[in-house]
Amino acid sequence: MIDKLKNFYDKRKTIILLVLLAAAIALPFLIDKGSVMSIIVRILFYVILASSLNIINGYSGQFNIGHAGFVLIGSYTLSILAHMNWPVWLLFLVAGVVTSLVGFLVSLPTLRLRGIYLALVTLGFSEILRLVALNWTSLTGGPMGIKGIPTPWFFGLRASSPHNYYFIVLLFVILCLFTSHRVINSKVGRAWMSIREDDHAAMSLGVNIAKYKSINFMFGAFWAGVGGALMAPFYTFIDSSMFSLDEGFNILSMVIIGGQGTLIGPVVGSVVVNLTTELFRFANEARLLIYAIMIISMMWLRPQGLAGTSRSVIANRSLGRDRGAFFRKLFKKKEVK
Amino acid sequence: MLKKILVIVLCLAMLVGVFAACSDKAEDNQEPGATAAPEENTEPIKIGVAAPITDKWAEYGKGFEVATQMAADKINGAGGINGRMIELVVMDSKGDPKEATDIARRFTEDEDIIAVVGDFSSTCCMATAPIYTEAKMVQLSPTASHPDYAGMSEYMFGVMGRQDAEGPFVAKYLANKYLGSEKLAVLYLNNDWGVAAHTNILKGAEEIGLEVVALENFVDGEKDFTATLTKIRQTNPDTLCLVMFYNEVSIISKQIAQMGWDVQVCALGPGTSEQIIELGGEDVEGLATSTPFYVTEEDPVAWEFKTEFESKAGFTLNVHSACAYDALTMVAKAIENLGDNVNREDVAAQLAGMKDFVGITGPIVFTADGDVFRKYKIAQIENGEWIQMTDYDYAD
Amino acid sequence: MYLLEQLVNGICQGSIYALMAIGYAVIYGVVGLVTFTYGEIIMMGSFSAFYYFIIFGDNLVFALIAGFITAAVVGIVVHKVCYQRFLDAPRYISLICTIGMSMFLKNFATIVFGSEMKGMPAFMSGKYIELGSIRIAYMQLLIIGVVIVLSLLLTVYLKNTRMGMKLRAVSQDKKAAALVGINVKTTTLIGNCIGCGLGGVAGVLLGIYYNSVLPTMGGMAGLKAFSAMVLGGLGSIGGAAVGGTLIGIVENLGIAVTSSGLRDVFAFLLLVIILVVKPQGLFGKKGN
Repeated sequence: MIDKLKNFYDKRKTIILLVLLAAAIALPFLIDKGSVMSIIVRILFYVILASSLNIINGYSGQFNIGHAGFVLIGSYTLSILAHMNWPVWLLFLVAGVVTSLVGFLVSLPTLRLRGIYLALVTLGFSEILRLVALNWTSLTGGPMGIKGIPTPWFFGLRASSPHNYYFIVLLFVILCLFTSHRVINSKVGRAWMSIREDDHAAMSLGVNIAKYKSINFMFGAFWAGVGGALMAPFYTFIDSSMFSLDEGFNILSMVIIGGQGTLIGPVVGSVVVNLTTELFRFANEARLLIYAIMIISMMWLRPQGLAGTSRSVIANRSLGRDRGAFFRKLFKKKEVK
Repeated sequence: MLKKILVIVLCLAMLVGVFAACSDKAEDNQEPGATAAPEENTEPIKIGVAAPITDKWAEYGKGFEVATQMAADKINGAGGINGRMIELVVMDSKGDPKEATDIARRFTEDEDIIAVVGDFSSTCCMATAPIYTEAKMVQLSPTASHPDYAGMSEYMFGVMGRQDAEGPFVAKYLANKYLGSEKLAVLYLNNDWGVAAHTNILKGAEEIGLEVVALENFVDGEKDFTATLTKIRQTNPDTLCLVMFYNEVSIISKQIAQMGWDVQVCALGPGTSEQIIELGGEDVEGLATSTPFYVTEEDPVAWEFKTEFESKAGFTLNVHSACAYDALTMVAKAIENLGDNVNREDVAAQLAGMKDFVGITGPIVFTADGDVFRKYKIAQIENGEWIQMTDYDYAD
Repeated sequence: MYLLEQLVNGICQGSIYALMAIGYAVIYGVVGLVTFTYGEIIMMGSFSAFYYFIIFGDNLVFALIAGFITAAVVGIVVHKVCYQRFLDAPRYISLICTIGMSMFLKNFATIVFGSEMKGMPAFMSGKYIELGSIRIAYMQLLIIGVVIVLSLLLTVYLKNTRMGMKLRAVSQDKKAAALVGINVKTTTLIGNCIGCGLGGVAGVLLGIYYNSVLPTMGGMAGLKAFSAMVLGGLGSIGGAAVGGTLIGIVENLGIAVTSSGLRDVFAFLLLVIILVVKPQGLFGKKGN
């Protein structure tokens, strides 16, 4: 059934996208409760975060479970510089760039590593960043965090309410998805996917693994940083406990549930996970049990995620089907030297 | 083609409908700012409770939940507020300022909720202050003790007692006068509360010239303190002041005993927690602590509260839950004083003007900022029990 | 002298990490999958001892057995849910499953056991040996002893018994083991349960040593156990023990110089450096 939806989408792409865009812009005018709007804004935040993680995990096959660390850098960069009176609009970009540099640094020692070793290093970095933020009180406020983060001006209005802030976040979500889409369908994206499928084969075909792995980390980190930067003014307060390992797992679960390696996967994942936790709010402790069961069930029933198709490599791998065909098709566009 | 467009429009309509339904589910829509001006109103009065019911402060959140419900039940049993029953709306903030902010939005948008009791941590309270202030809604925190919190607006109140009263008390009276300390070491929990608490201890120590020979901290969750304790021991203090909650106090006491280190230990934070005695056994003998109140059998009201709380919550009473009980009682009293004209804004003025409230935790009178300067007592563990030290002129 | 004291502290604490890591090494060696549930299995072992003490009284040996059995049983559940289906699938699927399972166990424990800290009866408290001015408690010696004895026992078991041989074969190459007639499914299960049981034993000792049992105690414990194992070399039991001890030493020396808040920074820095310099760990045998 999901395959049928995909077919439907492929044929009417432009119209569907325009309609969705119109609906997205109209949404704040249809909903008048700020509390509902802030849930929607939160969903959008996680769309960016999950997409950025998806770039790394889903497209290049590198296993990053320390994504919270990148989000942390973005959030703190914006918050610290905003208190030094830098303009907030600019800071979204600056935060992304700074995080991207950190992403580059993290990628350096990991270029030779794969699988669980890579995952552990990313985890280690994420925790180190969090603990440094917790302890470096003079810079980050330590356990007291940073409060009073200002919101940006938006056509002469302070964008502090969920209804107004929504538009800023929506803008960045569209930018994120758009740029991701372009990059994935470019030479860079194809290089990533070849690394994901079989990096030895890719190397033998002349793909510079190190360079593309780094670019991949930098791109994913950039958007994670932007996402983190967007969150800070909305909540007006950040501290290191917001970027724990559990938060990283939270983002990871959205990517997995939504579907790795597809553009719409993180969107679906963010919506599903955030809506579920909201709907089950009344259950208190049981809410997390339900979340856990949801994750386990997804892995049992549909490991490629909700938006992953059964033509996906992941589904095939878990069923043992031939992936050679996929790989060959991938390389039809690339020159074989 | 037309059919496809229709399908899309239908899907979108459904989506919007779902959202609209979600938002209408819990709350009724009234015009903002409407005051309930009833002729004969018997509808329940809703009071919001924000607490960290899950995640790392779960036991304190649960304590809030139990204590506020007990207070509400007691008031309802006596006829409610002017004939109207109290209904609590409890939401779990997980100790996360993001969640607390979302809860604040929900509470302020629900026209029936008059005031809020919560949150547990100063961080959450300070993060939500702008939202409540804009809605002119009272947030009465049982436990926020950061000196900057209550002053944020006329709607922010705190019941626990400011850290800049307890800190200096511990330094000047507990450590110096009572325990006779001349070289103090301080070990504190590195979170927002711990930082505020120990900074005030240091300030108090400086004012009387008490030398602080060692200052160490740890992060929440730490279990092995031998390295830190060894480090502190090197500086040879005569008294070690622990700024943390009951679990770490008992662990550290045990490790001190294991090291064979004979040092006087005092604590700020756990109050007269019985869990310390349960967990620490003979290793906590002699531990002295500051506490704003002390429950004995001689005070039948408080003792009854304690026994009832313990049977409902499943763990022993701590000062945080007692404050939550008082907080709810106070808010109910303030609402009661409004008579028929129950609205949000006036609750703040009522609370600020209340001069004769005495709760389980003692008399509560708000300062101009909206918090309380408590008077503290000293209690020490003797023979496995907390004994209040009463023959000191500052212990009133 | 002071540094020597901290070094001894480090070794004692490291032995606790080592104790946890041994079980993990067995699981990873045999099942071949990384798991995030190990911390929660330690926690369940701890709680089972807590309830054992309440119901049956203070008997350390029986409590250890209770811990072993409980953890092994939980291990069976974890195996059926998270490993069995996914032995041939991409690694991340079982990993995510274990993340979900760990969340489930943690919250289940919070709901059923309560979130407040619980204490254990004290064993051998107040008894210690003295080396100069340094004191080592009997409990610490017991833990170090258990680590050494368990490592030796396990190594002997794996080398010299039939089951041990099967476990080793499965850990080296599942397909080849199947070809030789070994029931891979059952062997994997048994290996997992032994590893989990060891984790349960570690949990009991951990709970007694710190006198602190919490549903959330699994998180960091699992991470440290995992780090110790990777440090020592994936699947190597002796390596895991050494890795744990090394982490303990580095952490304590680091704290001695800076502050306790940075403990985990030192642990993770050590991990990252070793992974970058020598990914297969100190005693790692097989290449990735």
